[in-house]
Amino acid sequence: MLWCVSRRGWALLASLLLLLLASLITTGPACAVPVAPTPDAALAQILATVRHEAATSCAQPADRLEAIICAGTIRVGVRENYPPFGFLQGSRHSGFEVAVAQRIAQALGVTLSLVTVTPADRIALLAEDRIDLTIATMGDTTLRDTQARFIRPHYYASDTAVVGPRAVPLTKLAGAAGHTICVTVGDSSNPDLSAAGARLLLFSSPQQLIDELHSGVCSLIAQDNSYFARYFADPTFSALYDTKFTIDALPWGMAVPEAGGERLAIVLSLISEIFQRDGIFLTLAEANDVPANFLAQQRAVWRRPDCDTATGFESRRCVLPPRPSDMAQTRFAGAITAIESWTADHLGIRLSLDILKLQPAWDLIRTGLRNSVILILGTLTATFCFALLIGRALSMHSALCRWPVRGLVMLLQSTPPVLSLVIVASAANAVFTFSAALALAAAILALGLINGGNAGQAIAEAVATLRAEDAAKPPGHPRLAEGTLFTHALRRSITQIIAFLINATKATPIASFIGAPELLNALTDSTSFSSDRDTTYWLLLVFYVAVVLAVVGLCRILRNQLERRIAAS
Amino acid sequence: MIHILPHLPATFLPALLAGMSRDFAMAGMALGMGLAVGLPLAWVGSLRNPIRLVPNAVVQLLRAAPTFVVMFFLINILPHQVHVLGVPVRITREFTVALSLVPYSASIVAENGAEAWRQWRLGSELAALLFLPNLARSYFVLVMSSGSAAAIGVKEGISVILHQADRYPDIGDQLGVFAIGVFVYGLILQTGFFGVMELRRRLAGFVVKRRAEAWSAGSGDYDG
Repeated sequence: MLWCVSRRGWALLASLLLLLLASLITTGPACAVPVAPTPDAALAQILATVRHEAATSCAQPADRLEAIICAGTIRVGVRENYPPFGFLQGSRHSGFEVAVAQRIAQALGVTLSLVTVTPADRIALLAEDRIDLTIATMGDTTLRDTQARFIRPHYYASDTAVVGPRAVPLTKLAGAAGHTICVTVGDSSNPDLSAAGARLLLFSSPQQLIDELHSGVCSLIAQDNSYFARYFADPTFSALYDTKFTIDALPWGMAVPEAGGERLAIVLSLISEIFQRDGIFLTLAEANDVPANFLAQQRAVWRRPDCDTATGFESRRCVLPPRPSDMAQTRFAGAITAIESWTADHLGIRLSLDILKLQPAWDLIRTGLRNSVILILGTLTATFCFALLIGRALSMHSALCRWPVRGLVMLLQSTPPVLSLVIVASAANAVFTFSAALALAAAILALGLINGGNAGQAIAEAVATLRAEDAAKPPGHPRLAEGTLFTHALRRSITQIIAFLINATKATPIASFIGAPELLNALTDSTSFSSDRDTTYWLLLVFYVAVVLAVVGLCRILRNQLERRIAAS
Repeated sequence: MIHILPHLPATFLPALLAGMSRDFAMAGMALGMGLAVGLPLAWVGSLRNPIRLVPNAVVQLLRAAPTFVVMFFLINILPHQVHVLGVPVRITREFTVALSLVPYSASIVAENGAEAWRQWRLGSELAALLFLPNLARSYFVLVMSSGSAAAIGVKEGISVILHQADRYPDIGDQLGVFAIGVFVYGLILQTGFFGVMELRRRLAGFVVKRRAEAWSAGSGDYDG
């Protein structure tokens, strides 16, 4: 917990140690085992000191805690549209977080003033001294920990829950491969779900997920479990749906300002310890229909003697660490920022290229690009190989060999490509454990079969026309040998073969639908790091159009070379 | 089928057909918009003027845009609602899918339209009329492509199949659902392709008959 100690000030820690020492002195030499002061005693001591100081310095309060005591009011930022945590009932704020705010005001002996905040301004309002404390569904991450002082122990922790109809058999993340899961754009769990092989459908708001779950578009939806709390409170909803599994636990924290908030943070940490130990958070959660599993576990933790102390909130054994979210910058982040500034200044275009500046996002994109290239090359090779195989099989004289292949080609031609891809991927997932390589291989196989089937049919038709021409030749004229016939047919059908190679290239992004980690999937995941989707999807479109144009150009060159060679021979 | 899939609900087939009808509707919208964009391009492309090179470049660019990528691009870029003459118009996911198919349909209309125009000028009515079966064929290709809409949450045929397959833990049952989907799609699309061939055949017969009549009327003594 050194990250806290260094910032919150050695002086405060020293005061707590003094408290500990004082407690040792009062227990006297008869007591051999030192007893740590309780959080209750430490809280009472600090509040008494502050009230004493406030009696003389309210004109210029030393810090936020003193300002609150002097004003007799604590200003708390809460949500107004996130039931059951913070919402408006008429014009009155209600919910779990509001109830917590009321109990904190009581503990401090001040009145409560509630201020509506949003995820966008809940930290900014602290810095601007417009609120003293925010209790607003805020996850404690290492990034946010640099912007405000988080209060630990945490008053809640959420997971991303995957919810679906009770009939859907799914119990763990590992089983998500091949399932379609509806998610909101930018959700931090999207990369984990995608990596497990789930097909992600993107929506812009959690409410849309609920609507699409009811309408049947989504079999499974993923969202913060706190969001589902009010829905599961409804017996009709909980009779139809259940939580399949949860991932990515995120502790929620209250926060106070960095500047002048040191003592306030310690006081609130001690209050939180007491609230956890005495089950006050738990009782408030249950009264507001908030899932209380985490709080029940926390009560057990804070009843332990090693945690129930005046310094328990500093102990790694007792508090949860913030979720790591620090994002290293790429080596070329400075150059990207310069490009953004240049385009804004000279072209009036506001680019937001965060995905190229943040290392985790750039890693995703790099992997996506590499996989896309593998997918495209693999698909082109598979298309050509299947074209040769199917063309040969369809040209055989034996109907026994010809008809099953003709049936397969007809089947592929009348099945939507997405469905063919899903069928191949499902079969592959049934035989092997899902992996990125398996999804890529399944996509290459399916796309190769679809396009190779059509190209093979074109080759077979060319063979048929050559045979017909041969048969029409007058007796004595040289006929094509069976061995060279196929080569001639390839030359004759080269236009169609090239057309299907281009089609195959254009179809490769569909592989993202079965969880293949190519560029489209990587960019979808990268929206977890950047709120700007416009630039992301522009990059995607430009990349694929460029790739297709490159393949078209390459095919044109190959064709010209082939024609030149034929003319020369 | 009942033996393979004991819990297949009676609502599955009607839901599948309803979903497929949405595929047909989206393809229809895409073709309509493709005609609106492609026919002017075809007309300009058939002019004896250097400007005809512009539609050619546009068509090449349109053909290079993968439908699936265009769909994701549009769903993320387009607003959910626009105002047309002050009236709020909601941009549905179905419309977005249809819009993503426009580059393909417009390029097909432009290419085939320009060729039909050229043939008509040369006096080859039959070759010009091939535009219609080509258009019909591209319509069925659009129907197949609109299945990609399942990836953005449109409740069309493929999404109904996937939704049902999600309910079975056993791969055998899932493949059973897929087989029903393949059969229904195959039946409808093969019927469609057969219809296109029949249309082509009838058009050819119609043109040949008209030519024969015209020739007969012109000479007056065709049968001697």
